[in-house]
This record gives sequence, structure tokens and C-alpha cells, in this order.
Amino acid sequence: MIKYVLSNMWRRKARTMLTVLGIVIGIFALTVLGGLSARLNQQVKGARSWFTSSISVVPSGSSLFGGADKYLELSKVDQVSAVNGVDCAVPGIGVLLKENAGFSFGAPDLVIGLDLKCGPELLKQLKLSGGRSLQTGDSGKVVLGATLAQKLNAKVGQQVMLRGVPFEVAGIFETTLSAPDNFAFVSYPDALALFRTANPFIQKNKDIVSVVYTTWKKQVNPETLSTDIAAKVSNVRVISPKDAEKQISQFSLIFNAILFGVALIALIVGGLSIINTMVMSVSERTREIGLKKAVGAETRTILLEYLTESATIGFIGGLIGMGFGVLTIVLINNATKGSQVTVFGLTPLVVIGPVVFGTVLGALAGIFPAFRAARLRPVDSLKED
Amino acid sequence: MGMIVTRELTKIYRSDGLEVRALDGLDLEIEKGEFLSIVGPSGSGKSTLLNMIGCLDKPTGGHVYVDDVDTSKLSEKELTRVRREKIGFVFQEFNLLPVLTALENVKLPLRYLGLGSRERDRLAHEAIEKVGLGQRWKSRPSQLSGGERQRVAIARALVTTPVLVLADEPTGELDTLNTCRVIELMRDLNKETRQTFAIVTHDPMVAGYTRRIVSLRDGKVVSDQPKEDADIVCEPDEESI
Repeated sequence: MIKYVLSNMWRRKARTMLTVLGIVIGIFALTVLGGLSARLNQQVKGARSWFTSSISVVPSGSSLFGGADKYLELSKVDQVSAVNGVDCAVPGIGVLLKENAGFSFGAPDLVIGLDLKCGPELLKQLKLSGGRSLQTGDSGKVVLGATLAQKLNAKVGQQVMLRGVPFEVAGIFETTLSAPDNFAFVSYPDALALFRTANPFIQKNKDIVSVVYTTWKKQVNPETLSTDIAAKVSNVRVISPKDAEKQISQFSLIFNAILFGVALIALIVGGLSIINTMVMSVSERTREIGLKKAVGAETRTILLEYLTESATIGFIGGLIGMGFGVLTIVLINNATKGSQVTVFGLTPLVVIGPVVFGTVLGALAGIFPAFRAARLRPVDSLKED
Repeated sequence: MGMIVTRELTKIYRSDGLEVRALDGLDLEIEKGEFLSIVGPSGSGKSTLLNMIGCLDKPTGGHVYVDDVDTSKLSEKELTRVRREKIGFVFQEFNLLPVLTALENVKLPLRYLGLGSRERDRLAHEAIEKVGLGQRWKSRPSQLSGGERQRVAIARALVTTPVLVLADEPTGELDTLNTCRVIELMRDLNKETRQTFAIVTHDPMVAGYTRRIVSLRDGKVVSDQPKEDADIVCEPDEESI
């Protein structure tokens, strides 16, 4: 059956190949974007576990990721601590590692200062690959995310320069394929000093925080607690784990929408070209269809035959397109290895998905032409030239 | 009652408001094992009659009985089954599938019968043998001569051992020698297997070799004559094919 279908396809080599090429291009785009999306989802997943393990209290009008020009007074930390159900409120401050970081793919390199009174608790969900995490009383020490450590070529015990200030590497975290990979965790006073150097004209005399990481006591619902904090502390925005989840999801939602758009275009363009090819094949083979019916082929036999043919076109196009896509992903990932950036994720779904998509697309596009073929009456089709 | 019986068989084609009465109350009986030809000028309804008997088309009125089954009342699916199990077709244009070898073409109807691959192989080789195609079974239709192609088509019609073989101008695209050969082959097969052959033709030589000639005109039988068996001698000698 497959051999027969293949030799039928091969009768119009140029046309079949052009149709397959159409699918290849669509599936190629789908695979590459799928790789991007997979990478993004990996990052988002890691970011999610980091950001949803605490309640973030930020200046009102600021968001989870940004708002670098707004800060809270240190007194807010005590106000948050005083709320019933709060286990620990950790003042934190973020400073961009490079002055003009500009746009970067994924999370920016960030120095995060945490008060070490109970800040080390927050870091517990990040696994260490070497050294130790930050401890109460650490000063001039840094624990690096995996990507940042590679970028700075840092090893435990060595010194690294953060914004011109030397720090001793106390430990390095395992890769999470997400935002914390690009973070350098230091003590709150150290980060504040960096911040002051970077922003000499802002609020010189006050201790400020950009975020209060808040953990909750066991058996306390973090969502209810978030509402409580918002009610009791003025001029802040409280981002509960659920809110953080939502913000992070929005991130990937846009990208997934683009992916869906590309898939839709591939669907329409590829589908139409398969339909066109199959309709032509059916009209060229009208006599053959008539003959088959005359010698006893049932409607569904013909139907299946043409569906198989169009699904095969989709499958071959999907396979080749996926092949080129994966090749591109591997090549680009290798090329960017030096700069410590992984652009694409390569999950089983990225490999299998596009092939399945191509095959299903082919089968769906074949439905109309196959029905046309199957419905032909033998007496009419045998008369066709 | 005969194996094939038509009663008051009528077929009217309508197109652009024009009505063509291709068959006009035609009555015909064909017994098992007959070797007959259906002749008549073009437009007399020969091919239409063959289509009705072969369950390729449905009559406008009247009845067609195949083995006592009134096929004018059957659904499309049931008609397919009758064709598959009881009827073999041979066409003027051979209608072989170009992507398949001769053997694969012969096997095609067997697949629709749902036979296993070993059984299909055996029966197809037998049929190829019967029509004298010998070692040409591996060839594609494009590599075969007209006469050889029609032999393949005949093998395909016989392979399911149908009770009835319908041939519509089977020699229309063949030269005299191959025409003779093909008709000789069909008559030998008819004698050997007692399968019924009905051949539509406008070639008097072909009709001359059959044992009954049914003449049609304007959708009706105008004459129906049994004939003596005629010896078939195909000239020139066999080497020249």
C-alpha cells in the first residue's frame, strides 16, 4: 500500500516536491519557533519556582520584573514583618550587573542583595553545584547563578568583579535554565553599596529596598496573607505567588501566541497546497479510480488511499522540515555556546510535534480531495480522458 | 431463468434539457457459459447495456437480474459487491494502472476481495499463465504492447473467477492479428472455464467468432441469432508479434 502510494506520488515528481517543499518551509518555521518556545518555557518554569516561593512586596506602580526607578523605605520591611502570619520579611535590592544592559534574551544579569537574617532560607530552593550558599553575616561574598558563573569564568573561592567591586565566590548554583541562572546573590548591605555607587544622586541618605521578599508561616495561605499585607502596609504593591504566576504566564503567553500564528500560517499555506495537489491528482486519475471501483474497490478503500497519499506528503514534508529545523537549532546553540546563551530548547515535543502536525495537516487537507475521488461514479469516471 | 435477465430495461440520459433514450424497454436473457457478442451502430445502446448488466450504472426503469438478484434495487455498496464477486471487466483502453506491474495489476481485484498476499500471488500468477503472458508479468504497462496489455486486462478480469466477463470493445485499439489473438484467448477461456463472456463490438470479425450475436438499434434488440462455432485462425504466424 505504502509502496503504491509512493509510486503514485512520484508520477508527478516536480509537483509533489514543490508541495512537499511548501510543507517543509512551514514545518521548519514551526520547529525553530517551537525550540524558542521550549527554551522560554524552561526559563519561565524556573522563574516560576523562584518567584512563587515568596510574596514580593514592591513599590506601588512597580512590577515583578522592573520598575528600577522606584524604591521602598527600609521601614516598610518592619511593617511587613509585623503582619500576622509573616514568617520572615527579607529586604532585597536588585542592581543590574552592567550599566547599559539594554535588551537581552531572557532575564538580565542582576546582582540581588538579600538581607541575610533569614534570606538564606529563600535561597534553599536553588541547589548548589559547588561551595556554599550565603550565610548570616557574610560580607563581600557572592553566590552565582550557573550561567553568570560561566560568563564570569568564576570558581568557588576565587574573586569576581561586580560593578568594579571585588567579591569572593562562596558558591555556585546548579543551572535552573531560568532567571536565577543570571543572578549574583550578595548581602543586602553589599548590594546597597553597589546601588549607591551606580545611582549617586538618588536618595543618598536613606536605606532603600526594591523588594521585600516575604515568606509565610506554615498553614498560612499566602494569598490571604498577601491581601492582609496590602491592607496593612501603605503605598506598596503585593505580588502574591498567584499574581507572580500570572505575570510570568503572560510572558510566555505572547510567545506562544506567535507560535500559534506561525502554525496557523503553515496550516493554511501548506494545507491549501496539499489540497490543490491532491485535487489535481484525483482529476488526473479519474479513470483509474473508475477502474478500481469497477473491479470492486469500495468507497472507503478509495478514500483511505487518497488520505494516505496526502498524509504521506504531510509526513515527508514534516520530517524534512523538522530535520532542517533541528539542524538549525543545534547549529545556533553551538554557535552561541561561547557567549553562555542558550537560544533554543530541544525537547521531544520540539522534534515529534512538527512531524505529527505535518502528517495530521496532510490528512486533513486530503479529506476534501479524497471524498471527491471516493464519490466518483464508476460509469462516469471510466469515460473521462 | 437465465443467469442474466433484463426486463423492460430503460435508460434515459438527460443533459441540457435534452433527453436521450439509450435503452428502450430492452429484454434479454443470457445463460451461463454463453459466448456472445452485442453489436450495433454507435448510439444503439450497446455500452449502456453492458454498464447496466455490469452494475456500473443504474437503469432509469426496468430490471436487471444477475444470478436471480434484481440489481436495479441494490445500493451503491451492494452493487460494488456484485461487481467484485461476480463480474470481470475488459475495456477498450485496457485501463491498467501505470504505476503497477502487470502482475500487480492482475492482483488488484483480489485485494478488494480481501485475500491474503500469498493467495493473491498464486491466483495472479495462474491468471498470467492462462493468458500466455509468461515472463512479462514483471513489466509495467508502458513496456507492453497493446496486445499484451489487453492480455493483462483479461487476466485481471479472470483472476477472481467471475461468473460473467463483460468486454467493451476489447479489440478496439488492437491490430487485426492481436484482435484475433485476444478473441481466440477469450473463447478458449470460455470453453475451458464455462465462464460467460459478453462482448460489445462493432468489428464483424470479432462477432463472427462468437456463438450468439445480439444486434441493438435505438436501445432495443433487433436481432438475436445463435451461430455455429467458427474456427479461429490467426494470420500471420505467431512469431511476428
